[in-house]
Amino acid sequence: MPTKVRLNGDEIDLEAVDAIVADIGRKPKHAIAILQAVQERYNYLPQEALDRICEITDITPAVLTGVSTFYAQFRHKPAGRHSIKVCIGTACHVMGAEAIYDAFLDHLSIPEGEDTDKDRLFTVEKVACLGCCMLAPAVQIDELTYGFVRTDTVSSVIRDFLESEKSGPAAAGRAGGNGKDLHGEVRLCLCSSCIASGARKVHEAIQREIHTQALAVDLKTVGCTGMAYQAPLIEIVIKDGPQFQYGRVKPEHIAKILRKHFRPVTVRRRSLTAMTRLLERLYTDEAWEPVTRYALDTRNGPDAAYAGSQRHLVTEHCGRLRPDDIDEYIASGGFQALEKSLGRLTPDELILQIESSGLRGRGGAGFPTGQKWRMVRKARAKTKHLICNGDEGDPGAFMDRMILESFPFRVIEGIIIASYAVGAREGYLYVRAEYPLAMHRVENAIRLCVERGYLGDNILGSGHGLTLHLVAGAGAFVCGEETALIAAIQGGRGTPRLRPPYPSESGLWGKPTLVNNVETYSLVPWIILHGADRFASLGTGKSRGTKTFALAGKIQRSGLIEVPMGTTLRQIVEDIGGGIPADRQLKAIQVGGPSGGCVPDTLADTPVDYEALTSAGAMMGSGGMVVLDETDCMVDIARYFMAFTQVESCGKCTFCRIGTKRMLEILDRLCKGQGKKDDIENLETLAVAIENSSLCGLGKTAPNPVLTTLRYFKDEYEAHIDGRCPAGKCKDLIVYSITDACIGCTRCAQRCPVGAIEMRPYEKHEIDVEKCIRCGTCKGVCTEDAVRVD
Amino acid sequence: MVRFRINGKSVNAKKSSTVLAAAESLGIPIPTMCHLNAYPPFTSCMVCVVKDKASGRLIPSCSTLVEPGMDIETDDDEVRQARKTTLELLLSDHVGDCEGPCRQACPAHMNIPLMLKQIEACRFREALITVKEHIALPAVLGRICPAPCEKACRRAQIDSPLAICLLKRFVADADLASESPFIPECKEASGKSVGIVGAGPAGLSAAYTLLQLGHACTIFDNNPEPGGQLRYGVPEVRLPRRILDAEIGPIEYLGAELRQRQTVGRDISLDEIRRDFDAVVWTTGSEAPLPPGAFGLETTDSGVKIHPRTFQTSRNGIFSGGAAVRPSRLAVRSVAHGRSIAHSVSRFLESGFAPVVNARFNSSIGKLKESEKEACLRYVESLSSRHQRTPCPDEALNRKDISTSQAASESARCLHCECLKSEECKLRHLAETYEARPHRFRGTDRKPLEKITEHPHVVYEPGKCIKCGICVRITESIQERLGLTFIGRGFDVRVDVSLGRKLDEGLKTAASECVSACPTGALAFFQDGRME
Repeated sequence: MPTKVRLNGDEIDLEAVDAIVADIGRKPKHAIAILQAVQERYNYLPQEALDRICEITDITPAVLTGVSTFYAQFRHKPAGRHSIKVCIGTACHVMGAEAIYDAFLDHLSIPEGEDTDKDRLFTVEKVACLGCCMLAPAVQIDELTYGFVRTDTVSSVIRDFLESEKSGPAAAGRAGGNGKDLHGEVRLCLCSSCIASGARKVHEAIQREIHTQALAVDLKTVGCTGMAYQAPLIEIVIKDGPQFQYGRVKPEHIAKILRKHFRPVTVRRRSLTAMTRLLERLYTDEAWEPVTRYALDTRNGPDAAYAGSQRHLVTEHCGRLRPDDIDEYIASGGFQALEKSLGRLTPDELILQIESSGLRGRGGAGFPTGQKWRMVRKARAKTKHLICNGDEGDPGAFMDRMILESFPFRVIEGIIIASYAVGAREGYLYVRAEYPLAMHRVENAIRLCVERGYLGDNILGSGHGLTLHLVAGAGAFVCGEETALIAAIQGGRGTPRLRPPYPSESGLWGKPTLVNNVETYSLVPWIILHGADRFASLGTGKSRGTKTFALAGKIQRSGLIEVPMGTTLRQIVEDIGGGIPADRQLKAIQVGGPSGGCVPDTLADTPVDYEALTSAGAMMGSGGMVVLDETDCMVDIARYFMAFTQVESCGKCTFCRIGTKRMLEILDRLCKGQGKKDDIENLETLAVAIENSSLCGLGKTAPNPVLTTLRYFKDEYEAHIDGRCPAGKCKDLIVYSITDACIGCTRCAQRCPVGAIEMRPYEKHEIDVEKCIRCGTCKGVCTEDAVRVD
Repeated sequence: MVRFRINGKSVNAKKSSTVLAAAESLGIPIPTMCHLNAYPPFTSCMVCVVKDKASGRLIPSCSTLVEPGMDIETDDDEVRQARKTTLELLLSDHVGDCEGPCRQACPAHMNIPLMLKQIEACRFREALITVKEHIALPAVLGRICPAPCEKACRRAQIDSPLAICLLKRFVADADLASESPFIPECKEASGKSVGIVGAGPAGLSAAYTLLQLGHACTIFDNNPEPGGQLRYGVPEVRLPRRILDAEIGPIEYLGAELRQRQTVGRDISLDEIRRDFDAVVWTTGSEAPLPPGAFGLETTDSGVKIHPRTFQTSRNGIFSGGAAVRPSRLAVRSVAHGRSIAHSVSRFLESGFAPVVNARFNSSIGKLKESEKEACLRYVESLSSRHQRTPCPDEALNRKDISTSQAASESARCLHCECLKSEECKLRHLAETYEARPHRFRGTDRKPLEKITEHPHVVYEPGKCIKCGICVRITESIQERLGLTFIGRGFDVRVDVSLGRKLDEGLKTAASECVSACPTGALAFFQDGRME
């Protein structure tokens, strides 16, 4: 085959494929990585490139074809230069993500059935979850994330992206002088969700101001505080002095904030600054209140958590540590647990500690971690492996992303300790493709750990060695299931297989394999350092320690939270989350994503506890927590999750492949008001059958969202059969109209994405029912409550 | 050895054998679809589930290893229900007809597609045998049948239906005009005898079949000549009496004893007939001189009450059908009943009771979508290009209106909707066994009908694929260069040739193995719908 072929008018150079294969490897296990690199090179997978891969590697055409069509990341058609990913995660869904998706297609004039504009500049696609739920609805363009996107801001998002592309990404890292003479530091998180809230521009502004004001201040990129509702959040730390936090800052606030706390180093600059300050005061609002102190060092000391409910184990030192600075991690106690483990504990003692801590898997099912470690330890095999499952795919969950982005060293430390305990010398950290920043930070952290001897053949002279590979997922929710994850790491289609045998007996390459998730590993150092007893003293019943949640949806303060087990859902919603906005009523709390369920407000006192949540019909899951209010339709929520599982089903077993499809069709019918009398009964029959007979955990738990909503909100299902949607959410069952309360402000007409409202200043507006897509924008912007839904 | 319990019995099995293998070695059948001997388990179809009584959970037996102390139930109600649900889900996504819609619509269940295939190949004698397998009086019905088959014919959606009834008459007339009209083979005499009351289409048809099954028949009829309504209700111009006589001839030739002018209830009593014969067939039609109630037969509003599957009346050993059960002008229905009664009677004569036989299962795709017509026509084209056609002598037989070549070319229009593996298909077989209802989980929109014919010998119908991956595993293990693979995922996952190539490139050495292992008609040989 010639190495150059013509393709869609462009000549493509297949030598690039050869180079990629030479670089990555030619074994079947390299299939996904090769395809990712090829797609990176060509923007899609040209047929000629696939042929070439089969020619020059040991990967068979069947495997390559199977793999390249299994993962959502891979494209077989040319894509636009930039990729617009519209998140349709749970939180984004309840915030109207579908309309955002349509708006992008509309704005870019992409015809129906296609996904790329005619200039091949942008490809628009839906993505399961970007893990930025508190910024819902969120959109990612290439590696930039935008939050709170509205149908009418789509054009400015695209404009902003194109501008930022021209100016290039802001240089990250430190500004200012060296440590000794510093007057203090400014801390800012640059994780994906903070960036989506505008943190990068704030970062640039701080850099600029430090320079213009000539301040001796260190600008420090830190791990996220989790207070996403306040993002971008900056923290001013005066050397040997107090600290201040500012939430939701904008670049234009920066100059003033910095002037307030720091003085320029030179006299001339100082007087100049004093002048402008005086002038500016006249124009700007002086009442700039620091948001409530949130971190650990308040007057109650480090053990007291915000509002008494949070405890930071996984997220220890949040908002203070630089995620890319290993020295700082070490200085704050990092790797002490590892040193203790390798130096003073035998693997069995270590496992005993984990066992007595009561730690259970944080990935969802809650299997006792110590017991799992012991099984792998006891498995008789010369070679053992370890996997860290970072394939967080639940729509509405972003804890693992936050942990990986903010505390990569802690995760790695936990992994190394676990590898020592079970005797694994090869480790694989699998991170989903949708988390590019997490990938960068983990990659950097692994490199630093290797440099410092925390990873390698002989860690800290202990004789124990671990090689840690970073594996990029390619877009498949089912790969969160451990047997599917193993199949994916082996380079194949991510389809699960029956357990037993469990991975602890026969896992990766048939060897005993420890599989834990990101959060589980990152709790390990704390347990080792502070003692199993202290960990076990937190929590309730069989659920010990803390659990992180991605709190989002209809809530005042959303973000990443970490609470002791036993905290009730109500405490989370009301105390930490600050309750429901807009004076609406709590209706239910969706816990556990597509495998979980909706806990109704009447059961809001259910504690965060594996067993209690399960008996309420939900599930701890991996920790997505989406708060729903009275305007959320429970049938629509059930349909939403079923649509998710259905798209993410691997398609292997009959029940999940066809059963979920049939359930979805029924739910679709109900939401369109075309329900039939026996639909509810058929839903129940299918739900039970799928639960009983599916092959893997994904399938078995897929009916949960339907089962819980049927259990607690059956009347809503019945209403849909009668053609009513009590929450006024299902588009086909509602009509929007404008009442006499209209003052003619034209807000609705300006915002309507389809022009269904004619602009008539000072007159009562009207909605063209034919044109109306029932997106709810008008209702959202109306200040007079003049939009009616029937 | 591992000791465990299966269906309440304590048994031994080899260590590390699967529950399925252990059950098989003990002679306990467990149905499977995605399982392929000598290959590792795949666990996709879930039809092999059994119950682990300790946990109460259903587990796939093909991939669960036996463990000491296990307590397995392979066939209780819950297990059967689970299998049935599995089959119903598979069927809800199964785009295919087991039998052609014509055959499904024919009350006599005549194998129309096969007849057409034979006519197309100018094998008229074989075509006639195909017809007479189900219809004792084809030349008669060829003149008076309203042809429900043609109303169902899917070709009607494209242009016009096949002239099935005319073609049937054509082969029947050709046979009657030949030197030695067809006489079927009969089984060895059973020594049993059957009394038939009424020599109408149902009675004659029952006799025709019973005689072939080896049972002696005596027909009591109150008219001077046999034929019932065919003779006394249909005008001569529609049905010439010589045609009727010509088709009754073979029935007499096979040994039917016709007792005309014998009115039951007057000349002879039903009790006497029941006493003198091993079984009785009550096919008096709707215009019998005496009501069936007079003979102690339970009745419904319309006629004699029978069991819908066995055709047995309220009296043991007395069977009924045709217009005696429900008045009907449809002679083909009576002919069909006659044949079914004969088989039921024969089973009764063998075992002393009439067992209920499961109805044949039929999957059906319903109406063609606009976009599917093209695929159907392409399939027909590829079929005729593969036929080694003996050229038909273009001659008119006894009919002036249709010649042999006309018959052949009309037959070549058949879309052959029927499944090439309708008898071998595991899905159909299991659906029958578990009485699956194909429409229980009917989807909103079915997948499109596709027939991929680019391989010289193999037809691939993706709509019939149950994604068991057997062919994928076979092509992998015997190292087909390209082979088959799973494309995509979820509900839309499909099996196709790797790297987007055509089927003839993907299946080179593995074709035969894949076709025979495929549990449905997804992969079939063109010659699978062979002409026996």
